[in-house]
Amino acid sequence: MMISTAPPAFIFILGGLLLPLLRARRLKQAWLLFIPALAFVDLIALQSSGTCWTYHFLGYNLVFGRIDTLSLCFGYVFCIMAFLGMVYALHVKEDGQHLAAMFYIGSALGVTFAGDLLTLFVFWEIMAASSVFLIWYQRDKAALGAGFRYLMVHLFGGSLLLAGIIIHVSTTGSTQFGVIDYGSLSSLLILLGFIINAAVPPFHAWLSDAYPEATVTGSVFLTAFTTKSAVYVLIRAFPGVELLVWMGAIMAVYGVVYAVLENDIRRLLAYHIISQVGYMVCGVGLGTEMAINGSTVHAFCHILYKALLFMGAASIIHVTGKRKLTELQGRNLYKKMPICLSLYMVGAFSISAVPLFNGFISKTMVVAAAGELHRPIIYLLLHLASIGTFLHTGLKLPYGIWFGKTPEGTTRREIEAKEPPLHMLIAMGMTAFLCIVTGVFPQILYNLLPYPVHYQPYTPYHIVGMLQLLLLTATAFWLFANKLGGEPTISIDTDWFYRKGAGLLMRYCYRLDEARTGIQVFASRVVAGVVVVSKNPIQSVQSLFSREKSVLLPYNADTYRPAIGVGVMVLLVLFCIFCVILFFRF
Amino acid sequence: MPRILRYLFLLACGVAVVLGFLIHAKHPLFRWEIIPAFDAAFGFLGCILIVLISKMLGKYWLQKDEDYYDD
Repeated sequence: MMISTAPPAFIFILGGLLLPLLRARRLKQAWLLFIPALAFVDLIALQSSGTCWTYHFLGYNLVFGRIDTLSLCFGYVFCIMAFLGMVYALHVKEDGQHLAAMFYIGSALGVTFAGDLLTLFVFWEIMAASSVFLIWYQRDKAALGAGFRYLMVHLFGGSLLLAGIIIHVSTTGSTQFGVIDYGSLSSLLILLGFIINAAVPPFHAWLSDAYPEATVTGSVFLTAFTTKSAVYVLIRAFPGVELLVWMGAIMAVYGVVYAVLENDIRRLLAYHIISQVGYMVCGVGLGTEMAINGSTVHAFCHILYKALLFMGAASIIHVTGKRKLTELQGRNLYKKMPICLSLYMVGAFSISAVPLFNGFISKTMVVAAAGELHRPIIYLLLHLASIGTFLHTGLKLPYGIWFGKTPEGTTRREIEAKEPPLHMLIAMGMTAFLCIVTGVFPQILYNLLPYPVHYQPYTPYHIVGMLQLLLLTATAFWLFANKLGGEPTISIDTDWFYRKGAGLLMRYCYRLDEARTGIQVFASRVVAGVVVVSKNPIQSVQSLFSREKSVLLPYNADTYRPAIGVGVMVLLVLFCIFCVILFFRF
Repeated sequence: MPRILRYLFLLACGVAVVLGFLIHAKHPLFRWEIIPAFDAAFGFLGCILIVLISKMLGKYWLQKDEDYYDD
């Protein structure tokens, strides 16, 4: 029998709603940490698989708890991440930011445990609507614009999802959320809705556009939930869809290419989210037990190390107020922030899959799954993306932020900087600890996975191969180090189409509006003319022939009425004519 | 980089490449897995490839001024 506690989504959403009622600051902070812990315990209490928290609503069964190894695995890491993110955000005084984060996390958990498509859709939309506030709370022009674009893309994706769900439900008659047969219109719409949230190119630009504009603490939350809940629903609904293999592999390399060009430190990391989610999407497409395991465990590890990397980058922004490599390099920050640097490097080694860090036990599993299926091109593309990942996150970014050379021809003062506040360091420390523990003892994670794991990451061949790859990448970086510094540019991406396109559309709309105004002015002139003429037709016709400008007076019948004698005269004339006709007729 | 670190780094590279000749894949899945130190070559050349291709794309197509969208 299942224990009937509350769905974790409700714990977060109710917890968020109660937050503003607490007055004392310490109490608030305790509450922020208590909620994720409570949700985690709530999940631990669910030992058996099955469905629970089913509610009957308008003739449909809403399932808030579909519990199995897959949903629990994502549920655990979401709760852990919520806790770590809240520790990192303890200094934030605005309740609104915490409220948005709580709703966001709660809805991501709602998506994870949704057993039917309607529940899934509702939480999907709450996720988009709450997360945008984590961007808007940055309160600058760039954040406002990026937030609006973010919201529009997600609402568009949500509409596609809804359309797909409606067609799916009306054709199959079932709202159950499970594997969806790929190929029909409804499945395509649902898939499109999912891959927009998974940031699969060309629908990825919202991520690299919006995440770097979010608040310092908001961006840490954003990295974890949207894309990973999308990976989860893809695993649920579309395992083994060949299209996803290629999309994932291309996505992994795509993010890397843009990261070479990027100057904004958080945007560089955002492109690496796209790259890393590529491995997961590829694993979903491969669809074997090993590949699905790989995607799941990689999502788990990715949430931890990417949060750590974003915490590191956000700490730099929090402390120095600078966010670009061109502003940071050459300031020797390593002397002032050694702890922050060390913790960041744990995240960098993890994402680069250095042995003993958690990326090594997860990323290599997806790559090995591609090998097992004998897919050489996919295998090499994923391998190539690994190189790029280490090159940027492990070498270029830390070198540029903490060391780096001053750009030629300029002298650079050292800036005021110190380690970030203690709670930020504690959050980073805990995340780093988890990255290492799960890397050294992979069985901890492997035991949580949906299928039994037969993969052994720590073989001499794997370790030596990975070390060769990484060390020689570092050698190549060494050769290029001077050329890889930041450049004060931005790179156009697929958001160009709607950012420039919207401008064009607006310009077109203005033209259209001008034309409309023109027609309206013309029409009202015609009407005004008709009004004038119909007020006094005689005078207006007369005024056409007179030289003088006359004021148009309202029609007055007396002005044109002839004297009574004229009428008598006409009558007399008519009478005479009548008489003459009579006389000659007879 | 301090000189000692530089030597250590080169030593590590050397050791990794030498080990590549000694340790072989038990069940090679692809032909290149038989080549010793393939990963080292792939890492080095792949890195250069990524940098060159991305920089070219950036220079001739993708990179714009920072105020590109502000009009």
